[in-house]
Formats: sequence, structure tokens, C-alpha cells
Amino acid sequence: MTPPPLLPRRMAGAFALGCAVLAVLPALDLSPYAHNQLTLSYVMIAGALAWNWMGGFVGQVSFGHAAMFGVGAFVAGRLMLDGLPAPLCWLAGGAVAGLFTLPVHPTLRLRGPYFSIATIGIGEVSRVVFTYWEGFTGGATGLSLPVTAVQKYQLYWWALALAAMVALASIVIRRSSFGLRLLAIKADVDAAADVGISAALYQDVMFALSGAVIGVSGGIFASYFVFIEPGDMFGFDRSIAFVLMAVIGGVGTSLGPALGAVVFVVLRTQLLASYPELHLGLYGVLVIVIILFQPLGITGLLGSLARALARRMQRRIFGRPRRTPPPAPGEA
Amino acid sequence: MALLAARGLTRRFGGLTALDRVDLTLGEGEILGVIGPNGAGKTTLFSLIGGSIQPSAGEILLDGRPVTGLAAHRRVRAGIVRTHQIVRPFANLTIFENVMVAAIHAHRRTTGHARDRVAEVLELVGLADRPERYPGALTLAGRKRLELARALSTGPRVLLLDEVVAGVNPAEALAFAQLIRRIRDERGVSVILTEHVMPAVMSLSDRIMVLEYGKRIAEGTPAEIVADPRVIAAYLGSEAGQGAAS
Repeated sequence: MTPPPLLPRRMAGAFALGCAVLAVLPALDLSPYAHNQLTLSYVMIAGALAWNWMGGFVGQVSFGHAAMFGVGAFVAGRLMLDGLPAPLCWLAGGAVAGLFTLPVHPTLRLRGPYFSIATIGIGEVSRVVFTYWEGFTGGATGLSLPVTAVQKYQLYWWALALAAMVALASIVIRRSSFGLRLLAIKADVDAAADVGISAALYQDVMFALSGAVIGVSGGIFASYFVFIEPGDMFGFDRSIAFVLMAVIGGVGTSLGPALGAVVFVVLRTQLLASYPELHLGLYGVLVIVIILFQPLGITGLLGSLARALARRMQRRIFGRPRRTPPPAPGEA
Repeated sequence: MALLAARGLTRRFGGLTALDRVDLTLGEGEILGVIGPNGAGKTTLFSLIGGSIQPSAGEILLDGRPVTGLAAHRRVRAGIVRTHQIVRPFANLTIFENVMVAAIHAHRRTTGHARDRVAEVLELVGLADRPERYPGALTLAGRKRLELARALSTGPRVLLLDEVVAGVNPAEALAFAQLIRRIRDERGVSVILTEHVMPAVMSLSDRIMVLEYGKRIAEGTPAEIVADPRVIAAYLGSEAGQGAAS
């Protein structure tokens, strides 16, 4: 028996084609508005997918990922002010953000809502500490980064590259035997131990990887916005945003959170422009509707639509409904 | 030398001594039955040997080497694997993946080999048809087979079966007994099993240990155990025990 390939050829082809199209888009007279929305979407796609490594694959829902986002942003920002090349600064920010998860690793021994509550604490403590650490973050006045207009325009491709890499990694992790172990831990930590899987080790590794990627996306985000301030970068809103993107797109699916990130960015821009007070309320309603009716978010919705369509075609051709197996929990 | 040995195994939960200085040996290729009334400490004994809880006193040796302090996942790699009375399949994985995820860890070979082993184990326990289904589609007996397959695919030397026959119909129980014997005969796996279904334990076990209130009250061949007055007293009350003794 040969194992299925980690990345089937057709999937890889479609993926490469998609990235190539997105990469040449700016050459096709893209409006500044679309350019901005796409760049932001790429950064958020990377963040949402990395959050999903913890919240979706391992099943530990974090409400504190803004901590790593902020750490990555400020480490990158500081290094850029020291004159280092930007990509190096982002990587360093990611590395520090990944290491930042290690001291909080005892929280991983908590399960379910207890872990989530602990991560709220981590996010808030980070926000307060980094706001008061003026020497590093500039305090409430924040930092202005040396980013030129040309560099800012080029961030489109950097963000796209990051999103593509994280998406690819998500697919491979989800399909690998490593991903299988993560799903086993998500299903039942004790039963996983009974078959020889050390939940502690895998959770630590995934938390650090997830934090590192969020850190890199924080660095690119900071460069794009040029001005950063701890109250915003470490804000609870940011932590919630990662959760929302994943929930809207489909928690635990390999690429669902990417869809969620695009919806989130576009919705947010539209709502902030017309009804600034309303946007959080709308997200709340959206999340309630999704959790009640479609726990796998947009991905689950597309899946049921595809199945309904297939049934209808079948009925039209054969005149009799086909029995379809129910979708498995956690499966995209 | 015994494959597995426990000496003076004790576990206290607060003021309750669930297991009190229990000694145990298991030979290579042996099937040891552990019986006793509800609350006698059978599951506690399994949890201690499996490593999901640590003993208050005493030690556990595998091949003469202590494994007492090892966490559950490390004991699995050392060769001690347990199944649970209440089965716990990974509901989000297919039947194949459930067994696969157990196989890849114990044997650090390439994935290809692990897949062959999984197919083999599924064949052995009788779950080879449609392994792409999810555990939710299985009957209780099917899920118990899955639990057994998952434990087997880790390549155990000592298999701890906690009430694997309980709750299934008599025909299934018989099939399980045959399966357990095959596992021992064909794979050389040593087995410790607890069971409430007496005919199953009596016919399967080479040796039986009886627990009551956390203490070992008797040990011997199935024939010796059914005639032991202390065992009859523990199960049926002391008068019945005295009656049998006189």
C-alpha cells in the first residue's frame, strides 16, 4: 500500500497557477484600493492559517495570538529602525515571537475553555507590559518605521509569498502523518497518549510554529502600516480577529481560514467606512449563525452546496436520490 | 525472568487505598486474567501499569528494568499498551487513520511500512472492509475491535485489555476470545485482561489473579480459582464461601 502523496500533482498545479495569477495582478493596472485589500488579505491569510494550526489542528483555541503578532511587529520594527533589511527583520520578529510562546507553555496543559481563558490573560499581560516598555515599543506614542512608498508597494509580493508558504504548509501538515497525530490529540489527549503520542511535545511545537508565523505576519503588517502602537498591535481585537477569520472560514480545515481572512478584511473595510460602530456587532451575529448552522464555516457551506448540487444532478439524470454519507466532524 | 513484574504496587486516592501492595508477574506469551468484584482495583491496576496514573508506592519492571516513572506515551513505546473499558476512538479520524496514527509512532519506519502493518492488523481484527468509514458508523463490538486494532498496531509486548468483551453479545464475546488467543499465539503478545464475563476469562487465561478491596486474595489456574473458598466468598458472600470450604 502506498501512502497518498502529501501534495497531489493536480492540487500543486492549481496552487501554483493561483499564486502566479495573483503575482501578476498588480501589473494589470490594479486599483490602489484593490492592491491594498489584497495585500492586507495576504497578511491576514497567513495569520489566520497559523492560528488554525493551534485552534483547528491541535484544538487549543487561543484568544491571545495578538501577543505574538505584536512581538513580531515590534522586534521587526526596532531592527528596521537599526537599518537592517526588512525581510531579515520580519524573520527575526517571527523567531522571537515563536520563542515567546515557550514561557507560556504551561498553559498548554490546560484543556478547552481553560486554555482559552489563560490565553486571554497572556494577550492582555503582553499588551500592558509592552505599552509600558517605552524604550522598546515607544509606549503609547508607538514607532514610525522607515518604509518608502516603493517598498510599501512591493509588500504585495512579500505578503503573497508568506501567505502561499503558510497555505502550502497547512495543506502538507494536514495531510501528513504529523497532522494525523495532531488530529488525534485534538480528539482525545489521553487516548493519544495511550497510543504513544506525547501531546505536550506536539502542542509545544505547534504553538511555537504558529506563534512564529503570526510574528512574521505582524512584521509585514507593521511595515505596511508604517506606524505601529502597542495598544493596537497587542489589542484584544487582534486576537479575536484571528479567531473570527478561522471560524468564518472553517476551523480545522486546511485552507478554510484563508477564505475567512479575505471575507474578514473586505467586510471590515466596508463596515468601518460606512458603519464604524456596527462592525463588531455584525461579526458577533455572523459567528453565532455559523456556530449554530454551519460549524465548518464557509468551507462547510461550500461542501454542502456541492453535495446538494451533486444530488440534484444525480436526481435529474437517474431520477432517484443517492444516499450520501454524513460529513465527518472536523473534515473538510 | 518475567516479562512484566510489579512489586508492592500501591495507589491511594486521598483516604482510599484503591490498590494495596499488589505483586504481579507476567511471563512471555502468557495470558493473565484479573478478576474481582466492582471496585476491587482492576482498572486502577491497569492505569498504573499503563502509566496514566503513578503509584503511591511500589515499582513496575519490564524485562527487569523499571518503567515506574515513565509517562503513558513512553510506556507505549517501551511495549506496554492498554485498551479502555469505555472505548475512545478518535471520532475525527477514519478507521484506517485511527490505527495508522498508532502505528506510525511506535515504529519509526517509513510511512509505507506503517500502512502495510495497519492493513494487516485491520485484517486480523476483522475491520478490513471499508476502513475509510468513521468510528461512529461501527457497532459497540466494532469499536472494541478498533480499540484492539489501535493497541495492536503500536507493536506491544504487553497488552492490557480492560473489559474488552463486556457489553457485546455472546457470539461476539466468543469471537473476541478467539481473537485474543490468536494475538497471543501468532504475535507472541503477552496479555493481562480484566473481565466480568466469567466464561471468557476462565477459558482464555493461563493464570488468574483475584483482587478484592485492592488486595490480591488469590492466584492460580482457572480450575484452582473456581474452587478457592476465598474467591467464592468475595463473589457470593462469606456464608457461601464457608459452605464451599466445608
